Amino acid sequence: MKTTEFTLDLQAYVDGELDASRRAEVERVLASDAEARELVAGLRQIAELVRTHEPVIRVPETREFYWSQIQRRIAQAEAVEAKEAPQASGAMQWLRWLAPALGVAAVAVMVALPRGEKEGTTLAANDTVEDAVSMTFRSDADGVTIHWIN
Amino acid sequence: MPMSLKSDYPSAADEQLVAWAKDGDTAAFEELIHRHRDKIYARAMIMMRNEGDAIDLSQEAWVKSWQRLHQFQGESSFATWMTRIVINLCLDQIRRQKRTRAESIEELEEAGGVERQMPIAESNPTEGLESEEVRRRIDEAMGKLTDAHRTVLVMHEFEGLEYKEIAKRVGISIGTVMSRLFYARRRLASLLQSLKRERSE
Repeated sequence: MKTTEFTLDLQAYVDGELDASRRAEVERVLASDAEARELVAGLRQIAELVRTHEPVIRVPETREFYWSQIQRRIAQAEAVEAKEAPQASGAMQWLRWLAPALGVAAVAVMVALPRGEKEGTTLAANDTVEDAVSMTFRSDADGVTIHWIN
Repeated sequence: MPMSLKSDYPSAADEQLVAWAKDGDTAAFEELIHRHRDKIYARAMIMMRNEGDAIDLSQEAWVKSWQRLHQFQGESSFATWMTRIVINLCLDQIRRQKRTRAESIEELEEAGGVERQMPIAESNPTEGLESEEVRRRIDEAMGKLTDAHRTVLVMHEFEGLEYKEIAKRVGISIGTVMSRLFYARRRLASLLQSLKRERSE
């Protein structure tokens, strides 16, 4: 009896999935192996039978009713899409305002951080509306206080 | 959905209907559905073996095709493109339902080798039968295969896909495709033989 690997090679031969060298090898075996030839014939028979007798199954609904259901589902999908679109656009509008603010904050942090925050130093952002873009850096050790005002 | 734009839909080729549908012509799209709905439904029914799922998934396939129509560039026929959509939906549904049973060719091999599991059909199991009866028996036998085996069989025999394409779409190795296909064929041959015996008794 053939190994499983060779059996699957026989099937690949039937399906035209072997490369030229493997195909030649299989054909050499087939020439002298009746059992292999029988298996190939059986595989061809069932493959051909299935391929040429695809079950015919019809939609059990009228054309109008089937289409009306699809129309309804398309309308529902479009309604959901339309509902989500303004929300997405609202979020984008919010991001439009947030992005510059984040940019300013990032620049401020980049300016402050390279100086390091040694012991006895503080970095404070003033939290009043008027001073929202001013920052203070103080180092007790160095006896230095710096204010950034934009 | 926009209103219909033309009137000669029944005589138009699929390509023309697709072009009209891409412009928002729903009547052209409905004509496409009318032409191909049985084939798309049949694919879903063969895969799912359940009328409710088949109706739902075939309709979902049409909704998706309407939404993605602009992506269809005509590399394959419209019918082929549609069957790919419905099969993908069926595969997703089968995965969601975790219907793929543990039964596999590897386990059967452990029990004694694939070639010993199913005897070679001695004769044509459908000899002398009318074509319609052969189709009916094949459908009945396919219903007795596992989802995993039936899926590979449908994709290979009805869709004409190569091993590597099936492997990619199902998410399994080519070796598993080969063994599942082999088992499915042998099991189907055996089931058809059994049906032949049953009907002749």
